[in-house]
Amino acid sequence: MRGVIKGVLKEELQNSLRMKKEYEQALKNLPQGCLAVRNIRGHKYYYLVRRIDKRVKYIYKGKISEEEKQKYKEAKELRAKYRNLLSRVKKQVRFLRSSLRGKEAV
Amino acid sequence: MEKKQYELCLEILRRFHQKNILNNFVLIGSWCIVFYKDYFASVPYINHTTLRTRDMDFLISKPDKIKQTIDIPTLLKDLGFVTTFRGPKGFIKLDHPDLIIEFLVPAKGRGSERLYSVPKLGLNAEVLRFLDFLSENTIKVKIEDFYLNLPHPANFALHKLIVFQRRDKEDKAIKDRNIAIEILKALISKEEENIIEGVFKSIPGKWQRKVIRGLEETEGKEILQILRKKD
Repeated sequence: MRGVIKGVLKEELQNSLRMKKEYEQALKNLPQGCLAVRNIRGHKYYYLVRRIDKRVKYIYKGKISEEEKQKYKEAKELRAKYRNLLSRVKKQVRFLRSSLRGKEAV
Repeated sequence: MEKKQYELCLEILRRFHQKNILNNFVLIGSWCIVFYKDYFASVPYINHTTLRTRDMDFLISKPDKIKQTIDIPTLLKDLGFVTTFRGPKGFIKLDHPDLIIEFLVPAKGRGSERLYSVPKLGLNAEVLRFLDFLSENTIKVKIEDFYLNLPHPANFALHKLIVFQRRDKEDKAIKDRNIAIEILKALISKEEENIIEGVFKSIPGKWQRKVIRGLEETEGKEILQILRKKD
């Protein structure tokens, strides 16, 4: 039974390590930055706020299509979700590694 | 984790049901054990929380008969699933910290392709042998306001007894074998020996011999007696 549990844990660790890579890649693939809107004389103008090196930059986008707004909205939601899930995967990896270590060499 | 995982599993089933595709699938793998609990409500049954992995496997028994066009990776994207392609041919896996979803298609004979493309569902399914055996005798279990297809426990257990001998990893083989024995014992407690016998007699002689060999390696003497009754 002990061998079975260890085997399952090892497989789960491999799965979690694979997922960690996948979430990191998925985060990289999302469009960078967030949209910020400025209301100037009744007109809405959009800026893309993103970090370049250590500084936060506002890049002027002007008037943008609904499609593009939707794209950044979805990216923002997915980024939050993926970050949360990535943090859970990292916790799983730590837990599985410590469980597998036990009292003997893995 | 346990509750979250179950909730996520239900949400996936709900979405498949809402899009009218759930009927095309048979849930196989370790998640069956969870959903068999109502079937075995009257008898002692496995503690299904013990050894369950995150794998959630859906068998598509008739991929050509699917009418709806639903992109499954997109359907589940907002839940946080990421799509990955596995194996040399690239069959799809949907990964989430709580669940890993895979789609399988039964192989038609030895040496058939390892990959089956189901463009209507936006996925590539893995082709595996012996899966027909799981889809030819199914039961329906009620979940909320819909039904889920599961292989009959007798088919599920005998299938496990066949495939555990083909496993490369010994620990997985032991796990499969133990689950099979437990389910067969639960069926016997439910006085469904005749179903086990019927299913066993319906399979080819070569498979029957594999099942017997699998049981001989274990403590399944009571089960062996049932299968050998009119052998």
